Amino acid sequence: MDLGDSVLDHLRQVAALPDLAGTHYELECEIGRGGMGVVYAARDRELDRRVALKVLEVALAGEAQLIAKLEHPAVVPIYEAGTLPDGRAFYAMKLVTGLRLDGYVAGLASLAKRLEVIRRVGEALAFAHARGFIHRDLKPQNVMVGEFGEVYVMDWGVDAVAGTPGFRAPDARLDRRSDIYALGGLLQFLLPVPPPPALQAIAAKAMSADPAARYSDVAAFLLDMERFQEGLAVEAWAEPWWHRLRRYGARNAVLLWLLAAYAAVKFLLFFLRNL
Amino acid sequence: MTMNKILAGVLLGLVLGALDGGTAWFYPEARPLITGILVGSSFKGMVVGLLSAWFARKVQSTAWGITVGAGLGLLFAFLVAANDTLNGRHPYLEIMVPGFVVGAIIGFVTQRVGTPGTAVKEQ
Amino acid sequence: MDTAIGGAYHRFPSTRLSLVEAAATGLPNEALERVIALYWKPVYRFIRLKFRKDNEDAKDLTQGFFTTALERDFFARFDPGKASFRTYLRMAVERFAQNQYAAANRQKRGGDIEFEPVDERAATTESPEQAFEREWQRQLFALSLDDLRAHCEECGKQLHYRIFEAYDLAEGERPSYADLAARHGIPETAVTNHLAWARRTLRGFVTDRVRGTTSGPRELNEEMRRVWI
Repeated sequence: MDLGDSVLDHLRQVAALPDLAGTHYELECEIGRGGMGVVYAARDRELDRRVALKVLEVALAGEAQLIAKLEHPAVVPIYEAGTLPDGRAFYAMKLVTGLRLDGYVAGLASLAKRLEVIRRVGEALAFAHARGFIHRDLKPQNVMVGEFGEVYVMDWGVDAVAGTPGFRAPDARLDRRSDIYALGGLLQFLLPVPPPPALQAIAAKAMSADPAARYSDVAAFLLDMERFQEGLAVEAWAEPWWHRLRRYGARNAVLLWLLAAYAAVKFLLFFLRNL
Repeated sequence: MTMNKILAGVLLGLVLGALDGGTAWFYPEARPLITGILVGSSFKGMVVGLLSAWFARKVQSTAWGITVGAGLGLLFAFLVAANDTLNGRHPYLEIMVPGFVVGAIIGFVTQRVGTPGTAVKEQ
Repeated sequence: MDTAIGGAYHRFPSTRLSLVEAAATGLPNEALERVIALYWKPVYRFIRLKFRKDNEDAKDLTQGFFTTALERDFFARFDPGKASFRTYLRMAVERFAQNQYAAANRQKRGGDIEFEPVDERAATTESPEQAFEREWQRQLFALSLDDLRAHCEECGKQLHYRIFEAYDLAEGERPSYADLAARHGIPETAVTNHLAWARRTLRGFVTDRVRGTTSGPRELNEEMRRVWI
């Protein structure tokens, strides 16, 4: 049998759609492709809500179970894992409406909001690390920001063999430190141009080529970021004296202005009385 | 260093009041009365400090703290100026304007330092 | 296509092993057969385009590759971490062809496996690598369609196959569901169901054939993503 191009492409299209007959889901449309499978929007007829269905040819051992163990506000909850009538594996999970991080940045969010996103991602990462899990493929495409500012980290535990340039640590090991590298990459990605030097230094430290030079854990990274936000000195950056002075001035602005006002008033009165 | 807010306010007011009073040394005509001025100024500062700190326990707001402190500083400075005479007139300007600013400083700092004590709900 | 290669493929549900599993359990011939069935045409086309051989030379080289280059440790040397099996095989073809280039080697090994004549396809603008992938997809579906047809014969689902053939395999304009329903004297819902069944079953065969040339679930998932649009 000889297949013409048009028939071939038609077959490739029609046989690709998941057959949800016999499940309590109704297919709506495809919403994305990533990692190992295709993600569709579907309606759960029983609970009358929209869900996301990730469909794979074959279930990757333990992926669903892993995500199900991570109950955290920033981890997309998994509702069900199973097999479709056509033999493929699927996971039903929360349908996240919002922007992927690359789109969010294009929307010119403020620096404070961007740092908040990093903070939430970091908290999720710290949570996972505490339970012995590693993300392994953290990148802007795997972070979503919902319409109310909720942050979701997706595609956990997928071993990206090819890696993603810019977010994959140069050393081949995949452990907490490589997750920290990726977190630094995420921060770098979110920094505005021109980047504040302290934040740049934090990102650079997290992305050191030598894993031992990076932050020892996510908490240390988040702490340094917090220091930046409070106007304190950052561990990652040896700041020049004039910058330190400016920072001190900014933190104590009100007091310094009041003291300046006092001095000004005193001087003014002193010299005026001679007139 | 954990210190009760009221105590901190009083000490702060004492120090700032003394320093403010000390600047009278630059006015030659006031120099002979410097001791009295220092005492009066310190006492004025302590009162402002006490009242500001008490206010800070009730209301946590930097802006209001400054306002109240400045107001108190102005009031007590007025009282002092009304009782003093220098060169045959009351030194309202020389005392009230700095007193206003010092009061503002006291009001600001009392909002920030010391443990608030019972104003904050105990866990 | 010669049913000797088809073999037992139209069992359903399939219990086909992955490539690595088959090689490990010492079934090199079966693995080899599967690889040849799927890859003969793609390799032929690749050689024609990449090395600009005419029909006869390309056939000889393809034949030579599959009979001499594929020994037992071809599969053992494959490292799934580095590239897909498809890429590994394609690179082996390149090496083989380059080695044969100087030699005027025209070994015609006849034998067990028969190949039907391949058509002349008009010169295209696609690269040899793209042509290789395209032929792979084409051959994959062609073989799976054979599986489907044979399966329908076995299970008495000839009607299902006829409807599927009339709709999904139609070149040009497709009949409407109503037309098909009228033509075969069945309700329209039956048309929908038969089509769904046929597509699902076809999908199963496609997956099985891909599984037979991949090393495990991860590679299977990745390869399947290349199959579908």
